[in-house]
Amino acid sequence: MSDQPDETGKGSHRLRFGAGLLVGTLLVAAVGHRLLTSSLGETARFGEDRRAVVSLRALTDVVARAGSGEAIRTVVAGFAKWHPQVAATRVVLFDGISLDASTDSADTGENAPPRRLKREEKDLYDRGQRLRAAIETNRAEGGGRKDEVEKERLPDGSVSLAAPIERDGEVVGMVEIRRVPPPPAPRPSLLTTLSYVVAPVLLFAVLALVIGERRLPLGVLAALLLAGTVWGYGAQSWAKLSRARTALEADVAGQVKTSAARAQELLGTLAATAAPVPETPAPETAPEVAHAVPPAPLDPASWDSDAFRRPLGLSDGAGRVDEAKVAATLEAAKTAVRQTTILLGALALVLAGFIGLGGLAALLGTLKTHRVAYSYVLPAMVGMVLLVFFPFVYGIVLSFTDQTIYNSNAPLTEIWVGFKNYVSILTDFRVAKTAADGGLVFNYQNFYWTLWVTIAWTVTNVTYGVVVGLILALVLNTKGLALKPAYRVLLILPWAMPNYITALIWQGMFHQQFGVVNQVVQMFGMDPVSWFEKPATSFFTAWATNGWLSFPFMMVISLGALQSIPSDLYEAARVDGASRWQQFRSITLPSLKPALVPAVILSVVWTFNMFNIIFLVTAGQPAGSTEILITQSYKFAFEKYQYGYAAAYSTVIFGILLIYGVFQNRMTKGTEAI
Amino acid sequence: MKLSRLALPLLFAALAAPALAQKEVVVWHAYRAEEKAALEKVVAGYNQANAAKGVKVTTLAVPYDAFADKITAAVPRGKGPDIFIYAQDRLGGWIEAGKTVEPIDFFLDKATIARFIPTTMEAMTYRGTVYGLPLNYKVITLIYNKKLLPTPPKTSRELVAMAKKLTDAKSGRFGLAYSYSDFYYHAALQNAFGGRVFDPGPKPVLNAPENVKALELLMRWFTVDGILPAEPSTALITSLFNGGKAAMVFSGPWFLGEIAKEIDYGLAPLPTIDEAGGKPMRPWMTVEGVYVTAPSQNKDAAYAFAKYLTDTPQAKVMAVEGRQTPANNSVYADPAVSGDAILSAFRKQVEVAVPMPNLPEMTMVWSPATTAMNTIVKKAATPKAAMDQAQAAVLKDVAALRKK
Repeated sequence: MSDQPDETGKGSHRLRFGAGLLVGTLLVAAVGHRLLTSSLGETARFGEDRRAVVSLRALTDVVARAGSGEAIRTVVAGFAKWHPQVAATRVVLFDGISLDASTDSADTGENAPPRRLKREEKDLYDRGQRLRAAIETNRAEGGGRKDEVEKERLPDGSVSLAAPIERDGEVVGMVEIRRVPPPPAPRPSLLTTLSYVVAPVLLFAVLALVIGERRLPLGVLAALLLAGTVWGYGAQSWAKLSRARTALEADVAGQVKTSAARAQELLGTLAATAAPVPETPAPETAPEVAHAVPPAPLDPASWDSDAFRRPLGLSDGAGRVDEAKVAATLEAAKTAVRQTTILLGALALVLAGFIGLGGLAALLGTLKTHRVAYSYVLPAMVGMVLLVFFPFVYGIVLSFTDQTIYNSNAPLTEIWVGFKNYVSILTDFRVAKTAADGGLVFNYQNFYWTLWVTIAWTVTNVTYGVVVGLILALVLNTKGLALKPAYRVLLILPWAMPNYITALIWQGMFHQQFGVVNQVVQMFGMDPVSWFEKPATSFFTAWATNGWLSFPFMMVISLGALQSIPSDLYEAARVDGASRWQQFRSITLPSLKPALVPAVILSVVWTFNMFNIIFLVTAGQPAGSTEILITQSYKFAFEKYQYGYAAAYSTVIFGILLIYGVFQNRMTKGTEAI
Repeated sequence: MKLSRLALPLLFAALAAPALAQKEVVVWHAYRAEEKAALEKVVAGYNQANAAKGVKVTTLAVPYDAFADKITAAVPRGKGPDIFIYAQDRLGGWIEAGKTVEPIDFFLDKATIARFIPTTMEAMTYRGTVYGLPLNYKVITLIYNKKLLPTPPKTSRELVAMAKKLTDAKSGRFGLAYSYSDFYYHAALQNAFGGRVFDPGPKPVLNAPENVKALELLMRWFTVDGILPAEPSTALITSLFNGGKAAMVFSGPWFLGEIAKEIDYGLAPLPTIDEAGGKPMRPWMTVEGVYVTAPSQNKDAAYAFAKYLTDTPQAKVMAVEGRQTPANNSVYADPAVSGDAILSAFRKQVEVAVPMPNLPEMTMVWSPATTAMNTIVKKAATPKAAMDQAQAAVLKDVAALRKK
């Protein structure tokens, strides 16, 4: 900050912009350096893993062709000689739960294979079973969902890989290799990075002396220098990364070639040793060996594959890199780097601008002036952040992902889908189809149908609540009414009862055969109604239940407000000859307004999200037609396990209520002014 | 400081008499009343026998409503028990979510597998891997009022003939009452026809022709034969049976507790279905399993207890005192169990029962299937059309779930 010690003074533009530039470049350098380090490390690991996968797949293919346990051990021993990077190889066959080959130093002497797996080696067996289940699952579902080559990074940086042994389409065992820790990945030099901070700041200091205390030129200069820094750092990062990637591809292609040659050689040894020495006298080994060695030539090009054993196709089996495909992957990586650079640049620019234009100084000033107030608010703020904002923000973040029960352990960045959920919710307008007879057939799962139901639900319920509540309040407010406390208690009762119980009672009352409602209907000679069969009647049952629950609240609010209206107002009105209706319109209603308006606002939000009644009374029957948004969102999350989609649904609900709240706030301010 | 840190545990260890490394195995269950008492008795017996080994099993009753969610939330984060007991319907979901249930294939030996009724082991198996030991099963069977019906029907023709005689819809009397519009109850009829929800593997086939045939028979019972009440809620069925207005009910052990004292009832296997070539009705069974959790620190000890709990002498305690129907097969040779009319009736029924699918996709079936069942019994759509629609809905949800 003290790059201009001679010009210091409060409100110095040079100092502020200088500080802004310094912080901006520091941010770029720090974040950029980190990103570059991790990207280089990732590239190195990616190459390391691919080489490992290639050698492992080559080994499994040979092991699968080796008939007997002895042959497998020969193959593994040969493999170990050629691969100093492999610390240990273990082969497990499910039949007999046995360890059939191992180069682990612990598996010698009395532990030497073949032997049954020990209790401590349960994980090894389970890992194999996991691979078998994964392959069966992927086959049954016709896709790639579960890893068929498992990769686990151990604490020391080495990697442990496991691949299945398949014979005739059936998984019979597993090969596991543990690699030695790889050499440390190349790291970008810290000095180079630092130069991206020092150079622009020094340049700014020199030029600022020339420009003087002029705000606009100083700001432009700082912005330009910052942009230049970002661009420069991005360009040199990309150069490093692309060089590493290209080298890696050639390296992996070479690895495929050597692995192929060695595998072929191992197969040759197998054929040579298996023929003269039938070491297991069991009759089935001979045909098995005879069958296993000749068929299906090795396919080295398929060894460089992803976790689902799908070939990446970046090279052929003979060590040649497919330049076009590599270029395409590089292009994708370049776009990612560019996007990150632009984002980082924008962030740095905003930060630098905030400092340079004096925002930081102002903020610090307020904090200092009101420090007592802020310290009082702090505990509540922390609580809010933990209990409200964090879940809220997490929900919103989730809504941009594709999270389902199957991938709920995957990092959110991997299942990021952007606005896809929102698009599929909001842009699906197929609410209704015209049926053959000209009528409309509604798609009850559609968002707009549910929205319409929710709005109808809210409007009818709140209207009912206000009207009935108000009428009852007016009745209860009659002077000299006998037994008034008793009525009041009775009328508040529905509110006092848990709505869970009320909902279940009402649901029972609407039973087609034995419900009290249909008994009454039949008393009047009408046919019983099966209430939950049609959307309208089903909606009515929920509405009746919620109406029963919601009027007491409005009544209590209105009653309180009514009692606070001074009686001299009515007296004066009577003296002036106003009718009862005029009194109600001009005195009662305006006096109730300050109490009723907030009650209505609250009531709208409650009813909009009235989960219990819909969930318990209609349960969305028939066919989800009486679902409201919040119950629908629940169904997406907990019946269909589409967490991301459900989160988006909830966020849309929040958005609707937010718009409503803002709008309502304006209206209320308007009413307050009157 | 360092000294006191070291000394304090030592002091405690010295005070705690037989200074052995205590291995604690925590069991979560959702049992109450006699089931809980029986489980605790078994646990006490185990603790006494294994005190010398330093193993101590403790139980914790978790309310049923919150149980599954608690497992989902607590276990993968290492805050859960070492063992928990729950039905198999959520098993697939927990396995897919990961870090919850430990595969136990490795521990299993042939003798242990042979101990159980084979279908209950099937319920514990997901994608070819066994994840738990079956403890007990629940299955629906025919429960009838002995006063109204001296001998229960053996075939669907007998069932309809008897039920027709006992039905008088005007006065609210029905020959047969069960939650037929509930897909779970309906499955018994569906499986008789060879119907299914999933084709081998996780492919939904709700609209299989066999399923449609079963629904058509159900609709004949309901509309043509008129032996079933409309909108059969569980409360209605209980009140009909207790009022002597329903002669037969298809229900499970949970129904027995609701039967009024004055009703003299009997249990019999569900009838065979003549329309399905004389095949028996095959109800879905839910199997409660004992699962070792994946993050458990004492998996060996936990499995040892699970094995003990499902062994024959303990199964007898759970059956006789806990009123459970054990998955252990040899316990039914015990006179105390085989002499019990209820236990042996369920044992007979389970012979033909089918484990309810434990695939996570099953949860996506319920809602569309329920919708379809409601549409069908309310005659708003033909069985075929309704099941086609349900199938489309399930396929859509399953595809949304599996997309990558």
